[in-house]
Amino acid sequence: MEYDFMVNREKLSVQAVISKGAVISKGPGNSEGHIQVQRENRSYEAEFVNVSDHQVLIHVDGKIFNAYVSRHGNIKTVILRGRSYEITDADLMEETSPGKKSFLNTASVVASPMPAVVIGILVKIGDRVEKGRGLIIVSAMKMETTLFAPFEGRVSGIHADIGDKVMPARILVDIEKD
Amino acid sequence: MFEKILIANRGEIALRVIHTCREMGIKTVAVYSDADKTAAHVIFSDEAVYLGPSEPSLSYLNMDALISAARQTGAEAIHPGYGFLSENHEFARRCQDEGLVFIGPPPEVIQALGDKITSRKIMLDGGVPVIPGLSRCEPDMAVLKEAARAIGYPILVKATAGGGGKGIRIVHGPEEMEEAVAQASSEAFNAFGNREVYIEKFFTRARHIEFQILADQYGHTIHLYERECSIQRRHQKIIEETPSLALSPELREEMGKAAVKAAKSARYANAGTVEFLLDEENRFYFLEINTRLQVEHPITEMTTGLDLVRLQIEIANGQKLSLKQGDIRPRGHALECRIYAEDPEKDFFPSPGTIRFMKEPGGPGIRIDSGIYQGFEVPVDYDPILAKLIVHAGTREEATAKMIKALQDYIILGVKTPIEFMMDVLNSRPFREGRVFTDFIPAHFSDWKPDRDLADVAVMAFLAHGQGKAGKKKASLGPEKALSPWDTLGNWKL
Repeated sequence: MEYDFMVNREKLSVQAVISKGAVISKGPGNSEGHIQVQRENRSYEAEFVNVSDHQVLIHVDGKIFNAYVSRHGNIKTVILRGRSYEITDADLMEETSPGKKSFLNTASVVASPMPAVVIGILVKIGDRVEKGRGLIIVSAMKMETTLFAPFEGRVSGIHADIGDKVMPARILVDIEKD
Repeated sequence: MFEKILIANRGEIALRVIHTCREMGIKTVAVYSDADKTAAHVIFSDEAVYLGPSEPSLSYLNMDALISAARQTGAEAIHPGYGFLSENHEFARRCQDEGLVFIGPPPEVIQALGDKITSRKIMLDGGVPVIPGLSRCEPDMAVLKEAARAIGYPILVKATAGGGGKGIRIVHGPEEMEEAVAQASSEAFNAFGNREVYIEKFFTRARHIEFQILADQYGHTIHLYERECSIQRRHQKIIEETPSLALSPELREEMGKAAVKAAKSARYANAGTVEFLLDEENRFYFLEINTRLQVEHPITEMTTGLDLVRLQIEIANGQKLSLKQGDIRPRGHALECRIYAEDPEKDFFPSPGTIRFMKEPGGPGIRIDSGIYQGFEVPVDYDPILAKLIVHAGTREEATAKMIKALQDYIILGVKTPIEFMMDVLNSRPFREGRVFTDFIPAHFSDWKPDRDLADVAVMAFLAHGQGKAGKKKASLGPEKALSPWDTLGNWKL
């Protein structure tokens, strides 16, 4: 099968064949399955064991790798030898969250870049704002960040109060373009 | 000895204090806010008292609530940790007035050392070298510019109150002076309610070297040698080590004596830290005295074999310090890495979230001071420090190798951490050669990108994850809902 992965925002395409179950184990642990991966002209054969929900033992070319994995939504974070890889299946992402990517990429919404607390609201409904005008100040872990107007327009809605805990997906201010 | 101590702090430092109290047979009282109801320091204490909402001013900075918590539980002393009220002289005085022992120096010492102009004057009078500058707030711009010319640019305009990088401006020439003074002054007023600023020489390339000091209430003062804390981001230390490669035995002895002199000049009592700036010509200058336990105190504990929190408690209890300067013989080399919830690829931006999985490293010479556990939600309201990883070995080279290995084995899933970044810093040539200055990160790691050598194996882990028995077991143990083929398909493609 061909997979298109995004590994830390870089595209990585591989051919992979996964076979689960009865495999004669050549490595340590009772192998649960076998993976064959081909990328460009390199090819790997690996056996794997899911030691726990968050730990996968991979035996590849005589080497043992302990991978620690957590999944949130379509992203899996894989930690290998101290390094952290954020991996998504690019195709899967487009299938399951239509439009989400483009929505977040347009930089046209006023939302906090991280879970944070609103500590200041600098505008009120009806205000005219220029592009780049400070709208809301959020604070996370002692660091303050001002959220700016992505374009010129009129403030038509404010969806936060001082002291509110806000998540990255939450739109805090509506601006109507003229 | 005290029977019960209240710890007016949270996170790893509160746990650090709990460890020693337990060993000493002292009961502990933790305090907590809404965000910390199930925090590690609450779970591991003997008693816990709710202070108030997550907002620090309503909880961990709320003096009334803290004093009443001590009253209510019968605690005889308060350990302030670091940050929050640890260097607040009003709080130390409040404790005194209420008949509670504040584990730290007396309020008047905290107050004098908290004001940078006052502490400069104390050091000048005591014969401790200070950074060339003007030891007063000078309103006349002409006088100020003349003084700056005599000291030589660049100049640092600095607020006399507070800290944390606020109320500070660098001035490269006389034309920038007026605006810099106005800005620093107004920033200082907003942050600390005090407009006063003064000027001193700014060193573009310097080392930050500090000496741990210990003084009992009867004037006996010793030092526990230095810590090198030059590797910083946003004026905050991230990697510390002891001993410093920059100090010759003679210079070390000279600075140690100056540190003791500084502490004595200030009539210091309890544990404290004398911070020095070391310029490129190895001249050292007094920066300030931190009147509390430092975040990086464990490296001193590793090399000296002492428990600083135990000593703090004994001193606060009025005991004499039996250690003599000659008793302090540091051994080997120790390093500390601060593990923050932050993203080193995005300018060390905070990264709050839930710890989904955690595995700590093990092996000889490795210590972890941690405030987190698997399942803990790291609150957005406080400093993003999660844990400190500390190693001790015979030499700097061995300690560095041990730290790199320990970082590799430290697994934290759910929030971003600088673990990878620190592995690369420790592996870098400038670090290995000991060329560490306060501009280390901007000079060598401003465009850092993580290594992606094992992306192929990571992709295999992605595919294998959840495909075996462990995954199946979970599915079969799962709730009522029958799994549809769409659930079980996972990442397979047909």
